[in-house]
Amino acid sequence: MAAGSDVYVLGGYMTDFARNWTKENKHFSALMRESVLGALEKCDIAPEEIESAHVGNFAAELYCMQGHLGAFFTEAHPAFSGLPTARHEAACASGSIAILVASAEIEAGRYDLQAVVGIEQMKTVSAAEGGAFLGTAAWYEQEAEGIEFPFPKLFGKLGDEYDKRYGLKDEYLAEISKINYANAKLNPNAQTRTWYMNKEHALCRTDDNPSVGGRIRISDCSQVTDGAVTVFLASREYAEKYAKGMGKKLADIPRIKGWGHNTARLKFDDKVAESHHAEYVLPHVRSTLTSAWKRAGVSGPEDIDVIETHDCFTTSEYMAIDHFGITKPGESWKAVEEGWLEIDGKHPINPSGGLIGAGHPVGATGVRQLLDCYKQVVGEAGAFQVEGAKNAQTLNIGGTGTTSCSFVVGR
Amino acid sequence: MPPSSDRFSLKQARELLASRSIEKVVVLGANGTMGYGSAALFTQAVPQVTFLARTKAKAEEGLGAAIKLVRSPTVASRAKVGDYEHDFEAAVAEADLVFEALTEDFDVKKDMFDRVEKARRDDGIIATVTSGLSINQLCQGRSDSFRKNFLGLHFFNPPNVIVGTELIAGKDTDPGLVEFIEVFGRVRLGREMIRSADTPAFAGNRVGFKVLNEAAQLAERLGPVLVDRLIGPYTGRALTPLATIDLVGWDIHRAIVDNVHQNTNDEAHETHKLPDYMDKLMERGVLGNKTGRGFFWKDDEKVIHVLDPVSGNYKPQDEVKLPNLDYIDRVAALHRDARYPEAMQVFLAAEGDEADIARKVIAGYISYAFHRVGEVTETIDGIDRIMGLGFNWAPPSVLVDTIGVAATVDMIDQAGLPVPENLAEAARTGEPKIFFDNPHINVGRFFVAG
Repeated sequence: MAAGSDVYVLGGYMTDFARNWTKENKHFSALMRESVLGALEKCDIAPEEIESAHVGNFAAELYCMQGHLGAFFTEAHPAFSGLPTARHEAACASGSIAILVASAEIEAGRYDLQAVVGIEQMKTVSAAEGGAFLGTAAWYEQEAEGIEFPFPKLFGKLGDEYDKRYGLKDEYLAEISKINYANAKLNPNAQTRTWYMNKEHALCRTDDNPSVGGRIRISDCSQVTDGAVTVFLASREYAEKYAKGMGKKLADIPRIKGWGHNTARLKFDDKVAESHHAEYVLPHVRSTLTSAWKRAGVSGPEDIDVIETHDCFTTSEYMAIDHFGITKPGESWKAVEEGWLEIDGKHPINPSGGLIGAGHPVGATGVRQLLDCYKQVVGEAGAFQVEGAKNAQTLNIGGTGTTSCSFVVGR
Repeated sequence: MPPSSDRFSLKQARELLASRSIEKVVVLGANGTMGYGSAALFTQAVPQVTFLARTKAKAEEGLGAAIKLVRSPTVASRAKVGDYEHDFEAAVAEADLVFEALTEDFDVKKDMFDRVEKARRDDGIIATVTSGLSINQLCQGRSDSFRKNFLGLHFFNPPNVIVGTELIAGKDTDPGLVEFIEVFGRVRLGREMIRSADTPAFAGNRVGFKVLNEAAQLAERLGPVLVDRLIGPYTGRALTPLATIDLVGWDIHRAIVDNVHQNTNDEAHETHKLPDYMDKLMERGVLGNKTGRGFFWKDDEKVIHVLDPVSGNYKPQDEVKLPNLDYIDRVAALHRDARYPEAMQVFLAAEGDEADIARKVIAGYISYAFHRVGEVTETIDGIDRIMGLGFNWAPPSVLVDTIGVAATVDMIDQAGLPVPENLAEAARTGEPKIFFDNPHINVGRFFVAG
């Protein structure tokens, strides 16, 4: 296994996830431009300093009829003319893949400063059409074709699998949704921050909160979101120079301490069949997390102060809880019941509101998670700050746990 | 702590929230749009919200509308309904907050406050949603405890969607209560709270309806289509001005501008005068969307018909001939790529009478807003936030930053309007570099590429 990384996170910027860029009649280029220029300004970095740039995006060809996304850097600022760029795709994990590739280029010594953008403009189409596009993150022909909203159904099956193996009460899923919505109210960029939401509404399991796929109800789902997030990654050498310029020490700049990344079989049923005798329902997700710990030199969840996980549905967060080792396999409900997941709990998860509360612009999510982890470890998370957070970890999954990525970020 | 007002630190906000509690709210006039909308919003954070109206059936209508508005069954589980005759005294006696949302009529509100005063608890808060009646006058002559606990809480319609909210203290309102309500609104209700002074129409409507009424005045000469095109989305708004008046209702528009025209005498006095044609047409039932006839109406075939303000007749929008407005398309195309400063340069450089008119309205908006600082809000930030998050218009400071302060000063000057002193000074000195310094608000959202 490769050693832990020496890639520094200088910060970044996310757009307001509540915005509907189609209603503003904006092109994809506008979303990218605001995100990139916002990050340069926020981090006080001149565009000429950027040496290479990456875009994580899932399906702009479908949502926006637009490919060749790396080239949009040159539209964001004239100084980017000539910049090496690339676009990366791995469904909902696209943003993390872009971070991984940018990190690898830094570690290989090719470049010292990278811009990474995660971006998705999704409100260009109807919910049903968008649902079908998302189906291409599964094996479309075998798992999604002709099915309305395939993904809630697939993640409903994840809940069913837990139920079969260990038992699962839906009230715990509702509680997860409630925490994410409540945290989102503290996040000035969260999509749902001003939505009508209270505990009873999230816990409602009647037809007023209808099922969209088995046990998955509307309030169990992440959002359809327009959003872009830019972060800057740097080598140690550049980070030292940057820190000095900002009147800081290198030790003040967070680092990607460790990473995990792997891929499981595409189809949900195949994954579950393979894990039949395994300890974890999605062993590849588990090994992504453990390999990130190993590379970071931490022993497990007890060394992680805050988690930003992939709650595309409440069942995926339920799965994450035991895969992170917060409870024994199958006992995720205990963490819910004990209040461990709250911002001031023992294992805070998604203080940002996560994908349910903050929103899920698919290709942007992995980058948003990294940026929120950065904010936590430098103490810039404002109202959703976890007191004294030193190490933070992401989990970003594509498809039904097919591609998994995780970063441990700390100082 | 979001939304973006940073008046209090997190710790202060938590302490203020813990200082008192709102567990029971009574909404008076709960069958009206602002009544049930506000009641719906309260159910998000308050365990018991009582909908009161003239009859129980009307209160139930309000509850039904509230449930429909926020699409949550939890509204019903937290709501009680009743009427003024049977349920008023008991409900008001136990209320932590009595929220008045009756019709905008001073005497109607006054009579209701007589009853509230007799029934209320000594520490019960009384808030009015009035969009412009004087807070001090509404509580004049009442007991010390009433005046101390009385304030304006001006939600915008619909309250669950529009986050910008004005908080207006009277001269005797307990400052601690105002701070508590500010934090309660911000944290528990998720609203953007703006402190406005007790002046006619407060801050938002004073500045906003000045622009809307100016558009209505221009429509007499230019026609509604051209006016809404000239003061359109490209100038920093989602909804065009005359369509906004149709949505708000002509009668409400009249009430607001008449109030401002009668009770203020500022440098833009003439722009507050309701055009005569609107008065005449209102007699014929032209009240905007609610009567199906306004500046515009849409027939069953979705054809939009446009008012001729002079004759009072309508004709299909397609038959309206417009002058060359290519510059607007060029501005919109630049907005579409988020090139907002470049877009505004095209706007500034556009030639022709039409562009002059558009610039005069926008310059007037900026000039008027900056001249109101110290009168309607303490700083420009309050006006900026209510225009941005109450009206969904580019806040004046955002326009200044995007256009550039020197160019803004020129634009105001060329329009023959008074240049605000702090803009003139910034143009001279280069300080401050930016006027809108709010990290929680994306300024790009205001420039709609339409």
